[in-house]
This record gives sequence, C-alpha cells and structure tokens, in this order.
Amino acid sequence: MTEQAKWPYPSRVEETTRLEADVLVLGGGIAGCMAAIAAAKRGQSVILVDKGAVRRSGAGGSGCDHWESAATNPCSKVTPEELLQAMLDDNDGYNNAISHYIECREGWDRLLDIEGMGGKIRDTEDEFAGADFRDEESKLLFAYDYVNRFTIRIWGTTFKPAMERECRRLGVRLVERVMVTSLLTEGGRNGGRCVGATGVHTRDGGFYVFSAKATVMALSRPARIWLFSSAHPGQCEFRPMSCIGDGHAMGWRAGAEFNMMEKSVRAEFSSAGRSFPPYSTGNNHNTWYPASLIDAEGREIPYADRDGDLLPDFAHRGRPAPGQKFFLKGGNIEQAKYEFDGPETLPYEKLKELGYKLPFYADLSAMPELERKVIWGMMVGQEGKTQVPVYRNFTQRGFDPERDVLQCYGVGWTSAEFLPQERQLFGLPGGFMNDWDLMTNLEGLFVGGDALFASNCYGHAAATGSYAGRKAAAYAGARTAAVLPWEPQIRAEMERVYAPLSGDSVNGVGWKELNEAIAKAMQNYCAEQKRDELLLSGVELLERYQREVVPHCYAANPHELMRLLEVFDILTVAQMILQACLARRQSCEKLEFYRTDGEGAMEPFICIRHDGEKVLRREVPLDYAGNIRENYEKYNQDYIAERAGEVEA
Amino acid sequence: MSGSREFSFRFTPPAVPIRFDESRCVGCNRCLEACMIDVMLPGEAGKHPVAAYPDECWYCGCCVMECPTGAISLHHPLMNQTRWVEKASLLKHREEET
Repeated sequence: MTEQAKWPYPSRVEETTRLEADVLVLGGGIAGCMAAIAAAKRGQSVILVDKGAVRRSGAGGSGCDHWESAATNPCSKVTPEELLQAMLDDNDGYNNAISHYIECREGWDRLLDIEGMGGKIRDTEDEFAGADFRDEESKLLFAYDYVNRFTIRIWGTTFKPAMERECRRLGVRLVERVMVTSLLTEGGRNGGRCVGATGVHTRDGGFYVFSAKATVMALSRPARIWLFSSAHPGQCEFRPMSCIGDGHAMGWRAGAEFNMMEKSVRAEFSSAGRSFPPYSTGNNHNTWYPASLIDAEGREIPYADRDGDLLPDFAHRGRPAPGQKFFLKGGNIEQAKYEFDGPETLPYEKLKELGYKLPFYADLSAMPELERKVIWGMMVGQEGKTQVPVYRNFTQRGFDPERDVLQCYGVGWTSAEFLPQERQLFGLPGGFMNDWDLMTNLEGLFVGGDALFASNCYGHAAATGSYAGRKAAAYAGARTAAVLPWEPQIRAEMERVYAPLSGDSVNGVGWKELNEAIAKAMQNYCAEQKRDELLLSGVELLERYQREVVPHCYAANPHELMRLLEVFDILTVAQMILQACLARRQSCEKLEFYRTDGEGAMEPFICIRHDGEKVLRREVPLDYAGNIRENYEKYNQDYIAERAGEVEA
Repeated sequence: MSGSREFSFRFTPPAVPIRFDESRCVGCNRCLEACMIDVMLPGEAGKHPVAAYPDECWYCGCCVMECPTGAISLHHPLMNQTRWVEKASLLKHREEET
C-alpha cells in the first residue's frame, strides 16, 4: 500500500457519540474484562472501551502459560500472608502490598471464575498423569516449586475469548477500536472526581464522550520510553505496542498521584534490537523452567541450590533447598534474595572456569518425557506469542525436541545483554497510587492491573481488575446519578486530539520521529546513573518537544493519529519519570535508582502528582497498607460473605 | 535482461511478518478483526486484507489462530529466527576432539 492509497473506512471526525453507564471500564485486557464482569455481575450497567478488539486484545490476549501466587488453591502449602510477606521482603518493602495481597488471596477465585467462563485450567485429558508437577485429584499442573504448589500452569490461549463471551453474556457494552485519550473530572478540575473519559475511534476518527458514576482504569503500563526502533516498532518491548501507558499519561494530566515512577530496570526484552522474541531461544527461565542446558560440546550444565550445592537429580529442580520453606521462582530472573531463591544453573563465570563452552543450548531431549512435553507443547504454545511463531513454526521447520537442541543467546532468559542506558519499565514498575479500595486520589477512579504501581503478571491483573470492578460497582451503586461532564474540558480535548489531522502533510513530524527523539533524550538524560543536572536538561528538552514539536506533528489517518496520540502520551510519561527521579534524593537499590549526587537518608515511597502548575511530592511510609489481613477483611466483608455463600451453595 | 524494464517506487518494508495464501483465503477478515494492533486494512471484497502496517506487528499470532482456513503464516524477521542443531552433532564434535 502506498501512502497515497485511499483510506478504506468512512470518516466520522468530529462526530461525537455520547454514552453513559454506571461503571466505565477503560481497557479491555485481562484486568479490564475482569473488572467489567465483576461490576456487571453486581447489577451495574457497564461500558468497556478498548483500543483493539476485546477477544484478543491486551498483553494477555494471545495467551499465558502460568498463573502466579494462587496461594488459596487447594494444593497450596503457602498462605497468602506468607507469600505476600516474601514478595515484600524480597523488595525491601518497595512493592504494592495491597494489590499483591489481593492477588495472593483472590487469584485462585478468579481462576475458578475463568474456568467457569470456558477457560482451561486443568489437565482433563490426563495428558500429564503421573507427573511430579500434577495433582492427581484436581488435575492441576504446577510450575516452579512442585512441593508448595502456588504457581499453576494454564492453557491461557483459551482465556481471553472466554472473558469476551462472558462480558457479552452479562450485557457489558463493548466499545472497540476506540482509544481513550483523557479522563473527565468534575468541573474540569485538576485532581477532581472522575466523571468519565473521552476517546477517539482508531478507524473512522469519531469522537466519544463517556460518563459514569465510577470509572476503572485498566490500561497498560508505559513502554517505548527508552527503547525505540522505527523499523520494528512492534517489537520494541515485551508487551504489544498498543500497550504504552496511555492511562498513566491521562491520569497525570488529570492530577492523579503516582508511585515508584523513578524505577526503571536495565532492558530485558527488545527483539527489535538486542534480544530475540521471548521464549523462542534456548533458556531455562519462566516458560522454560526447569529445562536442561548443555554447552557447545553437549555437556550438561549443573543446577545448584541457593547454597551452591549441586542438585542430585532432575526432581530437585522443583524442590526448595534444605531448610527452605518455599522458593519464589527458579532461576535468576530478578534474582530473589537468599531466603526465597530457587534452583538455578551455576553462574556463567563459574561455568567458564570449569571449562564449559559457549554457545549453550536448551536440551529438552535429556529431560523426563512429561517435563519435556509440558514445556514444548503446553507452556511454549500457551504463552502469548509462542503458539504460532515458535511452537507451530519451529515444528513445521523440523525442530524435534527429542533430537534437537535450541541455542541460547547470552546467558540469561533475556537472550541478550543491554546497555545501562537502555531501560524499561519492568519488574514491578511505577504506576497509580492506590488505597484499600484500589481507588486513586481522584474520587471515583479505581485501578486494576498494569496501571497500578508495582504490578506484574496475569494473575495480578485478573485479581486486581476484578477487585477494582467490584469496588467501582459498590461506589456507583451508592450514587444516584452520574455527574455531567464539563463541556469546556471536552472541547479542549477534542481540539488536542484532532490537531495532527490538520498538520503539515509534507513537513510535519510523524509519530516515529517523535518517539525516537524521546527515547534518545531519555537514554541521554535519564540513564542508569542519575544526577540533577542531567535530569533537568532532560526536563528542558522534553518541554521543548512539548511546546515546539507537538504542535507541528502530522497524522494522515485515524490509525496514524492513534499512534501519534500514543507518542504524545509517551512524552507525558517521560516527563513524569524525570520528575519522579528529581523527587527521590537518594539512591535506592530495589528501585534500581542510582544517583551520583545522592544526599540524605533512605526514603520511603515518594509519590508525585501535578496540580496543573507544579509537581507535588509526598513521602508515604512503605507499610502504609497497615496490617494486611485485618485491613483486607475490614474492607471486604461483603466479598468474604459472598464467597462463603457460594461455597455453601 | 532487456533495458526496457519498468521500475516502481515503494517504501521498503523492514520485514514481511504476515503472508496470505490466496488459494485458501475466503476473505472473512477475521484476522483483521482479531489484530489488537490493527496492522491490516480491508482488501478487495472477498480477498485477504492488506498488511498495511507490518512494522507494527508484535508477532502474537492471533491472526493465524483466528483464521478458519489456515490461509495465514506468520514469520519472525530473519534476524530473530533462532538456531537449533541436532544434539548428536555436538557430541560427535567432542568425540572427534578427544
């Protein structure tokens, strides 16, 4: 298709569609779907807005292979309190105690809900009967710690279509191919009550105004802040390119408070650049745990426990070390502290000393048959992005896991070594600050999934999404009517989003050029080592982009407009990150935040928001959630009673 | 080759992720509707869509999963196609060296 080709969809630019519901859900991924389902089940009318199509949209749309922290499943030997404490201790407290307790306590309930919708969570065909990782009665399959059994292997390709059907069955109104661009607040006031949102259709350019009594923010975490490839923008990061943190940006503009935005990690995934598509290379982490590895001469690489003692046999890869109650994850992805560290192959430096030679390979052939099959066929197959381009394609090209070994690149699961300035929001990144209702400082705005600070994976998204949906439903149920949006706020947003369509079609700046400029600026001014002069230079440069470049951007059609509005959001988030970095004065290892000009004592959480004129900083104690179990039970009597009723029934 | 060949102008794609088998495609556009990134645009009536924004593909494979006739294949860019070998070839190499 040439650039001059006719756009195949009709134009509805400036045509406004107004929709109203009790609960408005922004984002139709895992968290958004579960929020919509929870709210609809509680009798509220629900609108769910999605940039894509709900059936397969979001970071988990194509699948998922394991569900973490299901501490209340019938086989778990770990309590939600123990598991949460490990997650907090492992991060020196820089974690979201509320959202992860919800994950630990309610994750299993959500998995049962999804099974009820038609998602597959058990080995009903007895394909893995007799395996160490299987519970014969429930037919559940476990990953990592086979003794304590709180991580469950799942057939996640079945989940998203099941959630979409359930939304439709419950009468949720799905508004698809609409990008949410702003939050509406009462009277248009910064920091005011959230009364709705606006959006723009990504095919016909139509404008949408949503109003609701309560709103659930279920958009993704930010991406493409430091990493960008104009040749392969779709592969810049781990999650799909539509997941770029629109929610963070609109929240910041509306006056919402954010936590941990100064945290970024050295990049782990960018198959547009240094690494390979996740799970497509030889490795022994995550989906591939506990695969056997061999060196270039076919010698098996030993696994050791946390004390460095070699494991006597394969079965020990799924067992805690002597004296250890449980381990969080095998492998040194985001290496756990000694107390929670699982088995891993010996460190590369040690292997080099012992004469092991690169390249290494994943060797499934040497593994027990059911362990081989559960990795190659189930896990690689159910994880998003693996069923087709890895499992199916490799099989068609002749890969035989009983005969062939798959090369490792680099020595970790990232399959590459990145530079210190190549950074990502990964491993519990920053996001919206929340209270025990998962509500933000904007009254009526609830948050679930990746929009929360210190979010991580599928189970967390489902559990917190559902929780936010039920709290939003309760809030909406207590209100008689939605507050009408403030028309000047709508008009201003309409003007903002449509401006690039009238830009200079020849010399205007396109979304790729702007994204690349932001990424380069962030690599230069917000790299691994921070200091004020650099950060302030970054602030100045990005302000200049905002002031001088944004008004000269151009989009040829609604699709390009979506991409450009995403980059405007990336620009907002990059500015927020610089402000968060300026607000933290001392290095903090667990936030991977390092200052060369650090001063003063170690700080707790530092939350920031923008009041329309300046950035406000607030210190919050790491234990702000209080006594976790007591507070959970105080805030969730209705849910506890509801579940007890269901179990009895 | 003769000197009268006609040339055309095009934007060179960095990779061709999505390939359609015209003989199998029924033109249902389910692939286009499944794509969360919206990389495709409708093609001629009854024909397969056009992969208008191939660089935006994140290689999730949903278009292939949703296709009712197996008319789509999805390929990682050449630079991302990883390598495997027969294990026996590594062992043979070691034997030869010792």
